[in-house]
Amino acid sequence: MRTDAPSVPAGGVASATPDRSGNPPRRRSPALRKAFPYLLLAPAMIYLLAITLYPGLFAIYQSLFVVKFLNWTWTGLGNYSQILQDREFWAALGNTALIGGISLTLQTAIALTLAYFAYRDPLIRGWRIIFLMPMLFMPSAVAFIWKLAFNDGRVISDLLMSVGLVDGNVDWLASVWLARMTLIVADVWQWTPFLFIIFVAALQGQDQEIEEAARLDGASWPEIFWNISLPMMRPVIVVAVTLRGIDITTMFTNVFVMTQGTPGGATETMSYFIYRQGFRMFNFGYASAASVLMLILTIIIAQTVVKRAFHSGKK
Amino acid sequence: MASIHLQNIVKRYGGFVGVQNMSLDIADEEFLVLLGPSGCGKTTTMRMIAGLEEPTEGQIVIGGEVVNDIDARDRDVAMVFQGYALYPNMSIYENIRFPLRMRGIPASEHDARIRKAAEMVELGSFLDRKPGALSGGQRQRAALARAVVRQPQVFLMDEPLSNLDAKLRQSMRVQIKHMQRQLKVTTVYVTHDQIEAMTLADRIVIMNKGAIQQVGTPDEIYSDPANTFVAGFIGSPPMNLIQGTARDGRFTAPGISVPCPRFVHGQVTLGVRPEDCHVGGDNLQGQVYGVEPTGDVTYLTVLGGTNKIEVKAARDYRSDIDVAIGIAFDPAHLYFFDESGQRIRGAA
Repeated sequence: MRTDAPSVPAGGVASATPDRSGNPPRRRSPALRKAFPYLLLAPAMIYLLAITLYPGLFAIYQSLFVVKFLNWTWTGLGNYSQILQDREFWAALGNTALIGGISLTLQTAIALTLAYFAYRDPLIRGWRIIFLMPMLFMPSAVAFIWKLAFNDGRVISDLLMSVGLVDGNVDWLASVWLARMTLIVADVWQWTPFLFIIFVAALQGQDQEIEEAARLDGASWPEIFWNISLPMMRPVIVVAVTLRGIDITTMFTNVFVMTQGTPGGATETMSYFIYRQGFRMFNFGYASAASVLMLILTIIIAQTVVKRAFHSGKK
Repeated sequence: MASIHLQNIVKRYGGFVGVQNMSLDIADEEFLVLLGPSGCGKTTTMRMIAGLEEPTEGQIVIGGEVVNDIDARDRDVAMVFQGYALYPNMSIYENIRFPLRMRGIPASEHDARIRKAAEMVELGSFLDRKPGALSGGQRQRAALARAVVRQPQVFLMDEPLSNLDAKLRQSMRVQIKHMQRQLKVTTVYVTHDQIEAMTLADRIVIMNKGAIQQVGTPDEIYSDPANTFVAGFIGSPPMNLIQGTARDGRFTAPGISVPCPRFVHGQVTLGVRPEDCHVGGDNLQGQVYGVEPTGDVTYLTVLGGTNKIEVKAARDYRSDIDVAIGIAFDPAHLYFFDESGQRIRGAA
């Protein structure tokens, strides 16, 4: 029988409509049908739970104990109250905010400036890969490059000497602000491209007619950028900067390789503080508590920033 | 207010010629419409006047001044875009104010001028809204207000009504024409809609493949087309174009026979508008192919040989298909075109 023949047989009695292959439709049990979407989601959920939720919950649990290897002693919120009185914690938080804040501000400003000059260049597709290079390097490799440039290899000192800005070798780790600056320079160098690429894409995605209208209205390129392009980019900027900001709060590799928190803890970031507590001093419970506090703080800040930025953007 | 002169304008994109050797004088206070199909170079021409594109060759003169090397922002032209191009981050008030701010007009004048411009396009009560909160028609009116607020030398309008529905388009047409007459600003208007062109223009420039086909008043363009392109482009439904042979004062084609002037001979194309064809007669012998009543008029398609001829019939005309029918052509309104498509005119 042809599959596209009418489903009413010669006798005139209607039968159940067969599907294209001529078989009666398959029926799944109601329980299976209900479970089906969850089954499809299961692999991703299991993966997610295993790599994020379990360690997260474990850290929260561990933060309630004083942990010396296998010896766990219940302390409740003891770790937390101790941390909140720990000067090193507050110093690390301050350093993270300071180094991260300056670095993020510089990255955003540089990326926006570069994007402003670059996005109208029709050849940008060709050469933007050069901008991406720093981002493609391994963080530890980048940290070593800058460690060589600043300290061990004295490249920067030599360059500064050759243009006569300094007299002798600069000991970058001797001064609080110079040491912080090395971290900032390394971070800016590596991560400005991330923001740059996003900003260029946002600018190129804007309606060209609007730009042309502004030109005919008498606006110069900087005026167009300031009055129109930048406000229109606002949501993109907020998301990109928030992502980068979250990433910066976990700044570790550069500190570990370049400064180890010196001089006198002036470059110790939160991540390095947690690492030091956990893996140098083996206060796992204490380190977990600091991690949990950091997580809470990051969530609050990110939420506030994104919410405010998007709400005032509407109206 | 200013006149515009285009002198031998050429625009090339690599090997492709967008506009070829175009010369055009646009008088002060004139409403000129550039009309043509997509890709005919009309928008490119307007963008060159605006300064958004540079001509490859030729000169553009606005108000007596050669503007080729003057940046778009300094040309004192205002443009209304097809997609409105309002600034989405600003309220309508700020949108209309933007050109005043950018051109350094004293802040004390802003409010009065903005309100006057908004009043002119009946947008007074929407000034504090953002463009996203307005309908298409309101956005287009806001774009118009932003163009008129600074009293430019020239208005350029790039298919400003093409995103609107038919009813709104009609009312906006009237509004644009009224405003142009009121402000007396030289206006160049680009469209592919012949109704817009016919209703708005003082003069129409018909373009095809980057070249001007004909320049004239709407009446001239309609009743005296220069070639088959113009003849077929203007009119709704367009002019019937029938290929045939003229000999000894008679034009013949399959099913068609009409007298023609003696100077028309050889392979020619006959043009006759649907309203100049009348049911009953013997110029065309054929069969009814289709009947389309529209309410105020009935369009009748007649198959004569291989040609389908459109006829504007009386509103109550009805017929079955394949019925034999005779059509008379109005002898005063027949157009003949040579093999290259150019109009054949008398010795005069």
